[in-house]
Amino acid sequence: MVELSVELSWAETTPLSRIYAAGRQGAKEHDAGLTMAEQTGFELVQVMARRGQWSATDQACKEAYGASAPAKPHAVVAQGALLVWSGPDQFLVLSPRGDGLERARLAFAGMASLSEQSDGRSLLRISGARSRDLLAKVCSLDLHPAVFPQWAAAATSIDHTSVNLWRSTDRDGEAVFHLLVFATFAESLWHTLLDSGAEYGVAIDAPGAWQA
Amino acid sequence: MRIACPFCGPRENGEFSYLGDAKPKRPAPDAGQDAFYDYVYLRDNVAGEMEELWYHGGGCRSWLKVRRNTVTHEIFSVEPVAGAGAQKVAS
Repeated sequence: MVELSVELSWAETTPLSRIYAAGRQGAKEHDAGLTMAEQTGFELVQVMARRGQWSATDQACKEAYGASAPAKPHAVVAQGALLVWSGPDQFLVLSPRGDGLERARLAFAGMASLSEQSDGRSLLRISGARSRDLLAKVCSLDLHPAVFPQWAAAATSIDHTSVNLWRSTDRDGEAVFHLLVFATFAESLWHTLLDSGAEYGVAIDAPGAWQA
Repeated sequence: MRIACPFCGPRENGEFSYLGDAKPKRPAPDAGQDAFYDYVYLRDNVAGEMEELWYHGGGCRSWLKVRRNTVTHEIFSVEPVAGAGAQKVAS
């Protein structure tokens, strides 16, 4: 009998790690007009209320997360999680990596179907003075502050790719957008966004842990 | 052309997939071959107002019934057709 000893080891990776290059991209003759970064270390659960169970799901959400479940396109800052509307009677629970799935399972048992998406999506952040100019080239939504305020959200398509888009708290007086995209489409979308932002100068931060 | 999704608001038609006429209803199992032939293959070629099924796959993933003029592309009404969303709008 031959005993095989195999040592396994792997480094944690992200959907964009193959192509990710922190630093300046695009125009360099002026200050960067916007900042982009991949956000990591999150847990993501899709919650879909079963037929006729929306009220119960909403109530359970209030008890478990201290906030109403989003019933229209917006994102709700709740206890230890961000609740992002994704369609009628369904939303996403985004939380720092930890017990997010277990927490949702206990909260919504019997009234909603859950789908764990933590490694199925990639989360991107676009911020800065020219972030709307970048998004205007690829996104057909009106992102003017008057119609897309902080914590507005949308399920839409960018470059033929389905995304969940929301605006979080402004940073240094400028808008911050988050984009959640299917992991296998992340590279393609990242290239499209970089191309669109190149003329403004893009500062790419090192991948960082997501925070609401 | 833009379609006003009842859940998401007005969106470009690239976010939607077209299924076709919303009218055909599946015949009873004993309705006979002609009825099924009609249901599966035969479609009216309407030049004017008709009800169509569209899927908002690039957005909230809801099925919608759109009343549209096929000549002018004018849209008269958009409503959800199935699932929890339709119940919500109806109530």
